[in-house]
Amino acid sequence: MLAHDLRMAWRSLRRNPFLSALMVGALAVGITASMIAITLYHARSGHPIAWKDDTLFAVTLDLRDDDPDQGFSRHPEYPPWQLTYRDAHALYASEIPMRSVMMYKASQIVTPEREGVKPFGVNIRVTTADFFRAFDTPFLFGSGWSRAEDDAPGAVVVLSKFMNEKLFGGANSVGREVMLSGHSYRVLGVMGAWMPRPKYYDPNNGTFDIPEDVFIPFGWMQALKLSTSGNTNCVSKRAKVTSFESLLAEDCVWLQYWVEFRHPADRDRYQIFVDNYTNDGRTHGRFPRKNNNRIVNVTTWLSMWDVVGDESRMQVVLGLVFLGVCILNTLGLMLAKFLSAAPIAGLRRALGANRMDIVRQHLIEVMVVGVLGGAAGLLLTLGGLAVLKGWLYSGMLIGSDNPDRVALVQAFVHMDVSVILFAIGLSLLTGLLAGLYPAYRIGRLAPATFLKTQ
Amino acid sequence: MEIRALLSALRRNKTGPLLVSAQVAITLAVLVNVAYIVRQRVEEVSKPTGMDLDNMFWIATGASSRDFNYATAVKADLIYLNSLPGVVAASTINNLPQTGAITGLPFASNLEALQRPNGGIGGLIYFGTDKLLDTLGLKLIAGRNFDLDAIKPPATDFEASLGDWAQEVIITQMMAKKLFPDGNAIGKPIYAGLINKTSTVVGIVDFMRAAPAPARYDDFVTQIVIVSIIPSGPSGLYVVRAKPGQRAAVMRQLEKNFADQQPGRFVSRMEDYTRTAAEIRQETRTSAFILAIVALFVLAVTVVGISGLAAFNVTTRTKQLGIRRAIGARKFHILRYFLVENWIITTCGTVLGCMLALAAGIKLSITYEIPRLPLYYLVGGVLLLWIVGLLAVLVPARRAASISPAVATRTV
Repeated sequence: MLAHDLRMAWRSLRRNPFLSALMVGALAVGITASMIAITLYHARSGHPIAWKDDTLFAVTLDLRDDDPDQGFSRHPEYPPWQLTYRDAHALYASEIPMRSVMMYKASQIVTPEREGVKPFGVNIRVTTADFFRAFDTPFLFGSGWSRAEDDAPGAVVVLSKFMNEKLFGGANSVGREVMLSGHSYRVLGVMGAWMPRPKYYDPNNGTFDIPEDVFIPFGWMQALKLSTSGNTNCVSKRAKVTSFESLLAEDCVWLQYWVEFRHPADRDRYQIFVDNYTNDGRTHGRFPRKNNNRIVNVTTWLSMWDVVGDESRMQVVLGLVFLGVCILNTLGLMLAKFLSAAPIAGLRRALGANRMDIVRQHLIEVMVVGVLGGAAGLLLTLGGLAVLKGWLYSGMLIGSDNPDRVALVQAFVHMDVSVILFAIGLSLLTGLLAGLYPAYRIGRLAPATFLKTQ
Repeated sequence: MEIRALLSALRRNKTGPLLVSAQVAITLAVLVNVAYIVRQRVEEVSKPTGMDLDNMFWIATGASSRDFNYATAVKADLIYLNSLPGVVAASTINNLPQTGAITGLPFASNLEALQRPNGGIGGLIYFGTDKLLDTLGLKLIAGRNFDLDAIKPPATDFEASLGDWAQEVIITQMMAKKLFPDGNAIGKPIYAGLINKTSTVVGIVDFMRAAPAPARYDDFVTQIVIVSIIPSGPSGLYVVRAKPGQRAAVMRQLEKNFADQQPGRFVSRMEDYTRTAAEIRQETRTSAFILAIVALFVLAVTVVGISGLAAFNVTTRTKQLGIRRAIGARKFHILRYFLVENWIITTCGTVLGCMLALAAGIKLSITYEIPRLPLYYLVGGVLLLWIVGLLAVLVPARRAASISPAVATRTV
């Protein structure tokens, strides 16, 4: 019976090829627009380290002056998202977290050993030792450094996979030397391909920036007087910055601070510790506001940053509205088509088909349109995403000559199984929405009406 | 004309017309709002910068050896660059305008203002020599350029530059208006918060926009303070303005010989400003383009819907149309019937569409912090849909008008 209905549907569609093409085409572009928007939205709302959502936390302290916030932030209730050196240093002493990461982004010059390769600038991360374990970075060779290397500081580096390819052709470079701005460092580890999307651990320069290429121990900050290449915000009117040393002493925030706990319950203990720290600071004239220290997991952190963004949300709304217009369009055309073929349905009724048969047969025809539209839409979506990939992250990849890295950044825009299943569901739903009413209408018609004029 | 008959026919079979009206309504709401947002974006990227970007380029250098003496090198570089025949002027700079890199400080015309909560006016700071105005192509409208003696040599690092602040600054007219709302700024002191320094305003340039930004940040990117300091090393950043038409030639020459002018350093990047300015605008342009394409598709689908419904009506009414022709209706009457019928459907849609558009406009103005949707967008949208609707129905309507009266005599 289904085969028969399908054959009937196909025949009916073939009868008006132009009209059928219009319906399929309208649904296809509608599904394409929605699916591209939904895919981008889905990608942006991803969670890069979901398995640590109850143990990995960003720490922020509210040390702002007690006056209304003038900043550009849409959420004046959020504390500054970075810490001062003074506070980060104080919190680092706590034993409550299993791992503590204080860090920032800087830039250095790499002078390659190989003859004929010109020196080049590179983004580096100056961080305490726990970085690699806390953020679960993969390692191809070697490992990170120990906490002792932070203080010394040890002349050691960890390279990204891409930097290792550039400097050592991808070979195991552990033990080799790298020249950074005139200082020599020994390679301790080489990371695997690592591209957390969004770049949650430091949203400086945007939440979809690419990770740094070289990692050095935090102690080099003071040893080299290495200032941040990210954002520095002197949140207190009392701050006076006239030298690198004063930047460390004053209430200027520029360090990212993360902690990882052994047990989720440690978070509450840590909150008390942090609140006590700011209470204590208040007695010395700092932290004039009420306690507003936030220790937030990655999910909350990403929503505080609004990583998904208004643009992405608007695209989804626009895509779905577009699909709505396409459904209305197909519904109208379908209704027109069915009604014009009503005499045939009337004849079938008169010959003994019951109402359900008529409805089912027309519904199947509509579903065929929906499935064809969905399939075409899916193909168009894949094509559209391929084009978009090139556009969307071209700005971020400027200067990146590593094809692996380009692919890794672009892989961010992809349809995973859940999105594809969603697309299939959406096309079926679309077919149903467009076809239910016309099929119902045609089923309701009294057969006699259409036999009269024959 | 047969308005009553037309309305009664519409009432008898309302589903199709209702669907088209709904499409028209949504299309109108999408079109006007997208058009408005696209215009905001296009304006954002096409506002004047005040700079001669098409003749400018920049060079970034880095030290490859620890012995590299930045202070000597930068002096020699500036002399060399300014001596080239194809060059109008060259200067060092701390941040490149028209990129995401900015540094800002709060400024005020009196010290007390800086102590108050939210006191001071945010100003973007650019360090440079007396050549910077010429290099960027900024127009001095009052006062004078920097004194050669007032230019601070490079400090050991950025923070130290802040600590050894310059005596002379040049500000944009925008900044002058904000700092000195009622009077001349030339010769007056201005105070920089956070670093607690005072300098004298020696000149005012008419206009500069540091980077493209949404309209609500217009003030922020045009309040600029140019400070007579050579930025700290060891990485150097130079902006060069070539004579018209000679930029490419100068860049080619420098690509060959600039790095080796000074031992121990290299050129990490050299780029013309046309490209730099395009890069920062790329994302906004792309998004505006995508929005416009989607809106056009929505319109196209609606046109197909209008046309399809009319074509269907023509087909199902073939016999009636033949009868009308046979009893005296002229081609023009048939054509008019379809055009008016469609116009009524479209108009119903636009009424609903205006309401939808306004509601969406309010939501968007809150989300994007832009002014409300101006009403003339709605007027334009309604007119557009009327015209497009009539055009869409024209083809089927003409087919209807050409139905032969003889059809009436056939039995289907």
